[in-house]
Amino acid sequence: MPNTATLQREAAVNVYRSVEQGLKETGAETCGLMFIHCAGNSQPEQQVRTHLEQTSESAFQVWKDGATQAIAVLLPGLSLDEVHYEGLRIKHELQETLPGADPQITLASFPEGERPSKATIQHMAESSKLVDSSEIHIYTLDNTADEPERILIVDNDPTVREFLQLRLKMQGYETYEAVDGLAALELIEKVTPDLVLTELNLYGIDGLPFIHHIQNLEMEQPPKIVVLTEQRVEQTISQCFRSGVDDYMTKPFSPVELDARIRRCLH
Amino acid sequence: MVAIYYVVFVNTLYFSILALSFRNIWTIFRRSHYSKYNTLSGSELVPSVSLLVPAYNEELTIIENVNCLMTLNYPTYEVIVVNDGSSDATLNILLEEYRLKPVPNTKIRGKIACQKIRGIYHNPEFPDLYVIDKENGGKADSLNAGINLSHYPLISSIDADSLLEKDALIRMARMYMENPEETVAIGGDVRIANGCKIENGAVQDVSLPRKIWPMFQSIEYLKAFLGGRIGWSHMNGLIIVSGAFGMFRKDAVIAVGGYRDGYPGEDMNIIIKLHRYMLENKLKYRVAFCPEAVCWTQAPDSYRILSSQRKRWGRGNLKNMIENRGMLFNPKYKVMGMVTMPYNVLFEALNPYFRITGLLALTGYVLLDMTQWPILVLFGLLNFVSGYLLSVGALVLEEIAFKRYNKLSDLVKMLVYSALKFVGYHQLGVLWRLQGHVQFMQNNNSWGTMTRQSWSEDEKKTSEAA
Repeated sequence: MPNTATLQREAAVNVYRSVEQGLKETGAETCGLMFIHCAGNSQPEQQVRTHLEQTSESAFQVWKDGATQAIAVLLPGLSLDEVHYEGLRIKHELQETLPGADPQITLASFPEGERPSKATIQHMAESSKLVDSSEIHIYTLDNTADEPERILIVDNDPTVREFLQLRLKMQGYETYEAVDGLAALELIEKVTPDLVLTELNLYGIDGLPFIHHIQNLEMEQPPKIVVLTEQRVEQTISQCFRSGVDDYMTKPFSPVELDARIRRCLH
Repeated sequence: MVAIYYVVFVNTLYFSILALSFRNIWTIFRRSHYSKYNTLSGSELVPSVSLLVPAYNEELTIIENVNCLMTLNYPTYEVIVVNDGSSDATLNILLEEYRLKPVPNTKIRGKIACQKIRGIYHNPEFPDLYVIDKENGGKADSLNAGINLSHYPLISSIDADSLLEKDALIRMARMYMENPEETVAIGGDVRIANGCKIENGAVQDVSLPRKIWPMFQSIEYLKAFLGGRIGWSHMNGLIIVSGAFGMFRKDAVIAVGGYRDGYPGEDMNIIIKLHRYMLENKLKYRVAFCPEAVCWTQAPDSYRILSSQRKRWGRGNLKNMIENRGMLFNPKYKVMGMVTMPYNVLFEALNPYFRITGLLALTGYVLLDMTQWPILVLFGLLNFVSGYLLSVGALVLEEIAFKRYNKLSDLVKMLVYSALKFVGYHQLGVLWRLQGHVQFMQNNNSWGTMTRQSWSEDEKKTSEAA
């Protein structure tokens, strides 16, 4: 199973890379990009392709993104209103041919100087999954600016998790929680947090091996790691720092201090 | 008449031991519920421990167990796996899983003699794991090799087929820290893991075994550990710390010359040696039992394996008794010489003979019309009731202090099996012990077969059954 996950992951990364490449290579002044996500497993890649072949005058490119199950459509030369019109037509077409599909669409148009990065493309693909299907979502670049940072809390004590979650939510972070090391690793692949706040005493896999695993994950931007633990042995602390954690705090901890350290790690 | 006095006496003794266990259970209960183990588990002040894991042909369970041992809540410890010249892939599996590399020029402090060490392996990514590869020499020899390499003042022996609860070690260490001067050994509570749900090297869901043999052993272990050892440790007369999980002061173990080699019963032997050494040198000491430190182990689930294990125990027990017969009724050895050893000889080692002759005598009396059969029935019934009460007593202790078995059905099952034990299983135990003695006379030193099942295999089976 982990192998297939990696494969999917690689495939997905390749799709974003191809989209990025496609955006760069097009000589047109503006370039439209659209992500279509349909409910269920049937992804109407073929329908979209045929529809575009029949109607579109300019060259287009279509990919299937394995990670988010969305279809990426690159429409060189189209301005935002033209992409939006194309989106409406595709949506109409899909609703006609596939009644249950419920297409969700996120689209944007990027002028020549402002080609998006791979991370933005990935974010756009992910956002297509969250769109309300009754409208078409127009993606703008500053969407990412006020995106809250994601923190994953790993601790097997439910009280600690609850406290941290409440506190960090109030600080405006988006929080996730995991009970043990293995659950955490799975979650990290899925939600790509900006920071992992972890205890060292964990079930399954703990302490240093867990940290090594996080660092060895194939990720665009590996999460920062802050250790919050009962472990007060100096040797352990120095080992953690040597293996590259960003900060280390021992329990019982001062919440204010924790806030400050997290803030410093993230900015 | 001897048989009757014997039974009366043995039951009185059993009940006094149980009573002692009951006296202590409240303290244990409070200790296990209100102690701040979390804080302790990260403290610099807790003494460091070397965990010694002898492994002989354990390819199925070794990774799961090492993973479990490496995620204990304990500040500073190391895991030393001793591959005792396994003929299967135990060593290779370990080397591959943890990407271990041979360590050149290791310093082995050769304090205790052991078989030739072929190599020591380590990986800086797992700084607290060492693997020793050595020529086959038995469990005691492996433990000695582990002691030679160990870096810390406390050692703990753990069977490669056992899983420790995350807190087990810190709970033991806490007990040690209460009295570090005197404590030379601490035993842990061993429970049967058959039937429990095991995930990622930890027992996630406790329930009773489904098969009949492990089920009987569950009851037996509960009675022996909770009903017996708590009481024995209270008067410092503990004669055995289970080989599956115990903690020792390294200097004391080295002082008595390490583990004895070559025959079964090394766990009982080391404890007797420690008692002996301490008493002969007039040192204050204690051998403690820590019932809240729990270790889960795989019980044999077939008649063949179980009987060979029990014969081995019988053999080991007899051997240890004969070797240390000088301690018997010797006031110099205090509780050990006056109570524990005589108890062990009379009621453990010689138990089968008393039972068999007693039974024969009683039947003879009846046949010769010297007494009436209702007396025989009454006698049997009394015997049964007292035995049953002892088991139930242990169960009550369990329910007061630990409550590991939460389901009502499990409780009922335990009560039923406690009674069923006396129909067949108990008698088999007597037979096995007798056979063990025969083996001893024949000088049979074989270890017997002990096949292991992979933990995950077990899990698969239980999930299929569910």
